[in-house]
Amino acid sequence: METSLLLSALLTGIFCYLGAIETPWLFGITGGFYILGRPLVAGLLVGLAFGDVTAGVLCGVAVQGVFIANLSTGGATNSEITYASYGGIGLAMATGGNPAIAVTLAILIGQTFGLIFYNSRMAAYSFWNTKAQKAAEELDYNGITFNHVIGPQITSFLLRAVPVFLAVYYGQPLVDGLLNTIPEVVTHIISVLGGVLPALGIAMLMNIVIKESSHFIFFFAGFVLMAFAGLSMIALVFIAALVAYVVYLASERRGVVTESGGTSAAVFEDDELF
Amino acid sequence: MQEKLTVKDRRQIWARWGFTHLSSMSYETLQAHAWAYAFIPFAKKFYKDDLEAQRRLMTRHSMFYNTEPQTGQLINGIVTSLEEQIALGEEVSEDMPVNIKATLMGPLAGIGDSIIQGIIVPLLLSIAMGMAVNGSAIGPLFYMISFGIVGPLISYLSFNYGYKLGVNAIDVIVGENAQRITDAFNILGIMVVGGLAASNIYLSTALTIPMGTEVQELQSVMDGIFPRLLPLLMVILSWWLIAKKRMSATKVILILTAIVTVGVLLGVF
Repeated sequence: METSLLLSALLTGIFCYLGAIETPWLFGITGGFYILGRPLVAGLLVGLAFGDVTAGVLCGVAVQGVFIANLSTGGATNSEITYASYGGIGLAMATGGNPAIAVTLAILIGQTFGLIFYNSRMAAYSFWNTKAQKAAEELDYNGITFNHVIGPQITSFLLRAVPVFLAVYYGQPLVDGLLNTIPEVVTHIISVLGGVLPALGIAMLMNIVIKESSHFIFFFAGFVLMAFAGLSMIALVFIAALVAYVVYLASERRGVVTESGGTSAAVFEDDELF
Repeated sequence: MQEKLTVKDRRQIWARWGFTHLSSMSYETLQAHAWAYAFIPFAKKFYKDDLEAQRRLMTRHSMFYNTEPQTGQLINGIVTSLEEQIALGEEVSEDMPVNIKATLMGPLAGIGDSIIQGIIVPLLLSIAMGMAVNGSAIGPLFYMISFGIVGPLISYLSFNYGYKLGVNAIDVIVGENAQRITDAFNILGIMVVGGLAASNIYLSTALTIPMGTEVQELQSVMDGIFPRLLPLLMVILSWWLIAKKRMSATKVILILTAIVTVGVLLGVF
């Protein structure tokens, strides 16, 4: 299925806008950022845009691995996942669909251009915020709607769809040229790196959930269930839920034990008199 | 004289926030203006002739606000029931909604982000990635459908729970039992992260052990003793660099790149 680069690049740009964190159209971040904004889904959509779903999904899986633990708190993030997904996978699909290239480009774009455009957009929105504030104070309902929804979304479209389209359409010959001169050793390094980088994301997740050293027992248990016992992820979740429930029950027992511990100590003292 | 909120009214407030919560996000105000936008129909209906009250309503709902947007609908539900009481003339001060928002946005951001970004999203993605082997579209489609159901469901249930319980919902979030539930959820998350580490990191060694005339792959020997050992070492190293050495993500990427490059050049990987 031959599709022109122009159309594919356009679609990639539009999907990037629809998957942005600030997009409202698909029920806010539920359908936007958390679905279309994920590399795995981006892989499917960019694959559709370029007429090769299989290669697209393969790129999506590779990039998703690196971003598996991507976090956005308070609007700040260290790697802009939506620009990374659509820019990286888009350019990779435009130049042959190599997943290792997708990973490299995604990381590069996410950490550099993605962040630049993202922070520019955040700054640009201040303009709309001031006007929305004024509209609220002046009871201008149409003003609130315009400055909260319409104005910002136009800005977002310009800062999301346009750069991604330009990157894919005009970046394609550039990346193509680079790929032809890269020695095989470098592609191998990138390939191995793509498998190792998820460790960073998962380590960041660990940093958040692991609060005391005893928690490592549970981390290792989850690891063992997958690595040694070969369970599926779904099976692991059920077992983890059981363990969590037991921990919940145990945390109640701790309160009871300290009470009865007190009374039995008193009884023991009495016995010692004999 | 004044009717209460109909289900349609409530759903409209839920949807207006549900769609546009981050539509005008900047670092200064984040989700502020989505509140005003959500309450426009409410203002028109309940304060038809009282323009000053409308102005106060819109202004108090244009202040800085930030929380997890889906579980955070709990706060939207609570505030909706409070605003309804205010509009019906009951003894609720107009400061109450503002205080509730300020008090709860932090805790709900913490709990909500841990559940959604820390557990549900990576979990569903991991399952979907397993299904997307060989480039099958079933993987992404599974994720789209499963999160497409779970996300709005959490959002809707949170809103209704907050609305029904009103101010009493706070006890559920910051009470003593809440801490035990959060801790239990945390354990679940930790085990899931352990599983993620085993299934999403790939590293194997290309080294071989010479055994007389034959050659044994080191990796298959290791797999017999401790599968996925190298990925485990990588994630523990990364965790140590981030948690104990307090390095930035970019630095860790550079270190991992260096390790991989040296390893490939030496023929280890």
